[in-house]
Amino acid sequence: MLTKKLKSLIVASTVAAAALLSTSVVHADDLKSIQDSKEIRIAMSGQYSPFSFANEQNQIVGFDASISEALAERMGVKVKIITTPFDGIIAGLLAKKYDAIIASMTITPERQKAVDFVGPYYHAGRTIVVKDDSSIKSLDDLKDVVVGVTLGDAHDKWARARGNLKVRTYKGLPEMLVDLEAGRIDAIVMDSVPVLVAVKETGQKVRIITPPDSDGGIEGMGIALRKNNPELKATMQKALEDMLADGTYEKISMKWIGNDIR
Amino acid sequence: MDLTLIQRTFPFFLEAAWITVQISVLALLLGFLVAIVLVAGRLSTVLTFRCLARLYISVFRGTPCLVQLFIIYFGGPQIGLELEPFAAGVIGLGLNIAAYMAESIRGAITNVDPGQEEASRSIGFGRGQTLWLITLPQAAKLMIRPLGVNAVALIKGSALVSTISVVELSYTAQRFISSTYKPFEIFMVSALLYIVMVYSVRFIVDYLDNRFAAR
Repeated sequence: MLTKKLKSLIVASTVAAAALLSTSVVHADDLKSIQDSKEIRIAMSGQYSPFSFANEQNQIVGFDASISEALAERMGVKVKIITTPFDGIIAGLLAKKYDAIIASMTITPERQKAVDFVGPYYHAGRTIVVKDDSSIKSLDDLKDVVVGVTLGDAHDKWARARGNLKVRTYKGLPEMLVDLEAGRIDAIVMDSVPVLVAVKETGQKVRIITPPDSDGGIEGMGIALRKNNPELKATMQKALEDMLADGTYEKISMKWIGNDIR
Repeated sequence: MDLTLIQRTFPFFLEAAWITVQISVLALLLGFLVAIVLVAGRLSTVLTFRCLARLYISVFRGTPCLVQLFIIYFGGPQIGLELEPFAAGVIGLGLNIAAYMAESIRGAITNVDPGQEEASRSIGFGRGQTLWLITLPQAAKLMIRPLGVNAVALIKGSALVSTISVVELSYTAQRFISSTYKPFEIFMVSALLYIVMVYSVRFIVDYLDNRFAAR
């Protein structure tokens, strides 16, 4: 717990320092270096099924991985997928460890201060997951209980902002599902798609509460780039729009999610 | 318990464990070299060297290894230090363990009976000769076990590099957990592989210890 807090603090301060430095330096657009090296390096966590996860051949696949490949193909470059923990993923982008983040990242004003977004490339709603025999029946019952969230994501912020919840942060959904079953947390707050996929896989007995729109907040997920890259941003935005128009996107979405999540 | 899952994914765990072995061995080598320099500093007659070595050791032992890795990996590019995750991991772990190894080595040297040094100096050996011919051979035996403890700590601590996107044993485990939802099986496999590595070190340490004791 302590190390996680410490870690997010360090990552946050590194992000701040990097943001400060990167804005003061004039540099060439990343698009050129990507075209020169004929390779775009894209980061994702690899721990977020069905968006990015290791299949049994230990290759990273999923919706985010397929979107990355399709975008790279349109840009005429190869893609190199880099897996890195989500809580340090922006720090890694600013430290130039990769060129873009396609990691189901919610576009938020705070993040927009540090990075630029292409997209949204999909939308997702907030879901509250409880055990099927839980006394929590609706969003109104969700107070003075312990909820699990993914460290640093948008639901983490939402849960803390409510003020009447005890928030526990996790690295990923599997650990949260185990702790929900074990009774260490009363509810999980996160995006709907991964939860639905996970409980189908594990057969765990849970109930899904969909909050009303005012609190469900359909959120847009974006592709994060370093700031001051107008050409790269425009190129990727165009590639994304072309994919949305010509059916490529729909095919990817149907394959991994089962419906079109644009 | 899903044994077939373990069976299917095991080759990837072996590959990942190999990364852990590589990173640990390289970090140990780097750590040992830096530790020698630090010990030389600690035992130097020059005050500045003594202070610098002391400062290094207290900074690296006094801050979490995780923080050191973050500074090197995320902070490095701001001072022009562009490192691949693997290299950053080796350097971070190596510089960290060096501080501990230096204290293990220094402890062994200072634990040699001071009468040995006095006797050596009184019959005309110089300071360097005394260290090389009299003190170190006796200290070598005393430092094997503490250095072994450092090596074991390093192997277990190498899991930290998973936070800077080195896909080693721990990160591989986490990736598989998120696609299989079977934390128990997966963590058991990775724990088992860590035990194998740690016992290998113990085996080497016991062997060396016996060799030196036999003399």
